[in-house]
Amino acid sequence: MNKLLVVDDEANIRLLYSEELADEGYVVETAATIAEATEKLGQQNFDLAVLDIKLKNESGIELLQKIVKERHDMPVILCSAFSCYKDDFSAWLADSYVVKSGDLTELKEEIKRVLSKKAQRHAAGM
Amino acid sequence: MEINRSIEWECCWDRDDIVMGYCPNISEGDEDLLVSRSRRILEKCCECDNFKRDIVRFRDSGHPLAPVFSILHADYRRQKSQIQSLASFLDTKTLEVRFLHELGSVLQSSVDLDEVLSIALTAITAGKGFGMNRAFLLLADKERHILRGHLAIGPRSAEEAGRTWQEIESGDQDLQGLSQAFRRDKLNAERDKFHDILERLSIPLDNEEHIVIQALKEQRPLLITDALYRQDQDGEFARMLGVDSFLVLPLIARNRRVGVIITDNFITHRPINEQDMKSIENFSFPVAFAIERASLYERVQEEVDKLKQANHRLQEQQEQLVRMEKMALVGRITSSIAHSIRNPLMVIGGFARSIMKSTPATDPKRSFIESIVTEAHQLEQVLGEILTYSDALFPTCDFWDPNQLVETSLRDIQERVIAQDYTCHFHAGDRLPPVYIDFKQTTYCIRNILLSTIDGLQNGFITISTKPEGDYVVVRIVDRDRTLSEDELEALLTPFTETREMGSGLNMALSRSMLDKQNIPLVVVAPPEGGVTYTIKLPTCKEEKT
Repeated sequence: MNKLLVVDDEANIRLLYSEELADEGYVVETAATIAEATEKLGQQNFDLAVLDIKLKNESGIELLQKIVKERHDMPVILCSAFSCYKDDFSAWLADSYVVKSGDLTELKEEIKRVLSKKAQRHAAGM
Repeated sequence: MEINRSIEWECCWDRDDIVMGYCPNISEGDEDLLVSRSRRILEKCCECDNFKRDIVRFRDSGHPLAPVFSILHADYRRQKSQIQSLASFLDTKTLEVRFLHELGSVLQSSVDLDEVLSIALTAITAGKGFGMNRAFLLLADKERHILRGHLAIGPRSAEEAGRTWQEIESGDQDLQGLSQAFRRDKLNAERDKFHDILERLSIPLDNEEHIVIQALKEQRPLLITDALYRQDQDGEFARMLGVDSFLVLPLIARNRRVGVIITDNFITHRPINEQDMKSIENFSFPVAFAIERASLYERVQEEVDKLKQANHRLQEQQEQLVRMEKMALVGRITSSIAHSIRNPLMVIGGFARSIMKSTPATDPKRSFIESIVTEAHQLEQVLGEILTYSDALFPTCDFWDPNQLVETSLRDIQERVIAQDYTCHFHAGDRLPPVYIDFKQTTYCIRNILLSTIDGLQNGFITISTKPEGDYVVVRIVDRDRTLSEDELEALLTPFTETREMGSGLNMALSRSMLDKQNIPLVVVAPPEGGVTYTIKLPTCKEEKT
């Protein structure tokens, strides 16, 4: 089972993601801040991270850069209410970008796609 | 001693009254002299041959006063002649002063450099002025330290002179009229006519050996004569002008070297005398001041224009800044609201979906949950449009292939087109130039237009074409199956209005707003007989935004 880390400052969104993604068969861990996420990343191995860009007074992009630098094998999907982040160069470090929606179909598809790509990479020994 | 009374006098001096015809020197208009003996003697008799013969007779009579009378008569005639020549001189001077006064008034009233130059050169060459044949004006270019040929006036051949002078004579215009006509009809032509000489009339201000610079340095006119065959600098200059004699007139205003006028009698070869020189010298002062004033005025005007332009630009930039600040504020507020709304909306919609999944279709509450899901989804879409609108405030333009633009838009809506059984024909123009647009926004606009077109209809037919038109590539979308009233057309382009046929929301208004930001006009034509045509003119070059 793939293990996902969901980082979002909204408790209800964390809950929604946990429920929905667990229904899809993933093990889901959540974090509300960069510090909490960093701590969990240090303690456990994750197959993929779903990050919100706007985290109260912090930026999910910052966490994305940290993950890419330290754990470059772990894919990251960015989630945000802002479609304009698609044009932000720093957001291009992410493996995918999804605009937040009550319909999680797109997010679920992206998770599947990114994980499958990662599996292919591993299979190819990259 | 008594005068011999038997002498037969020829003149009428001894008669109080005479009749017309008696005196050969009295004619019509002099009738009052017929009865005024003293005036007749002084004005007519003294010059009359009959009187002279009477004086001879008187001298021969042996009267002792006769020789004295002869002396007095001769001296009277000499003095009379002197008075006449003085009167003539005074008349000439009066005319000259009057002319200079007229010239001064005209020059003082003008701050237009071309007008001042026209007056000055016309005054030198006109018969009613100083009557010279040609005049060349050189102006000081202080930045480059040279005197440069600026303007010339006069004929270049005897034929032209005859024609021009006849024309002036028949026109009977005063000096002001002549200079105005010159400025209006001939100024540029004269400049072109003398282009070859004017081009060579370029003298460094530090060439103190040159006659023209000498005149400027000495601040007095210099008359050059017999120079044509001299082997010095004057001779060379005379050969360039093609004359033996010429007058160099410095134009000095408040000790500042304004320029020089060179004048000659190229056609008539009339010698230039001291009198000509003095008259023209008096004229040079007001001309120099007028040229200086007009030049200064021109420079002030240039500076004023520059200031006006700068002020205008500043105002524009200020307005743009205010607009941008407003737009940035709108963008910030929109983003903030969108973020605040999107998260709870997502939670509501997301949990409603979760609940719906575990709620059987037979559950009476299922329809309520479905409503929550649908409404939340619709609100998310509106939110998406608002965010796109705030994105549209700042387009990023570049050069793109117009056919690729249309093809991308068509590809984006392909599924909808197929689902609604629509037919789209795209006539792509050949070898189209790239267009300067924000590709993302323009694609969005074309996609919106196409979606609005097919919205709610089945089995329709749309034609899309691209073709070059001047500096633009025109994208035309024609929908023959739809009819729009004037009100519907207006509502179509107004944000948040709903038309009967076209659905609701921001789409079309947003598209127009996005295109407006890029200075791209969107024209929608919906004639009453049916059909709707959308025309978008995409620029092929970068344009300064106004």
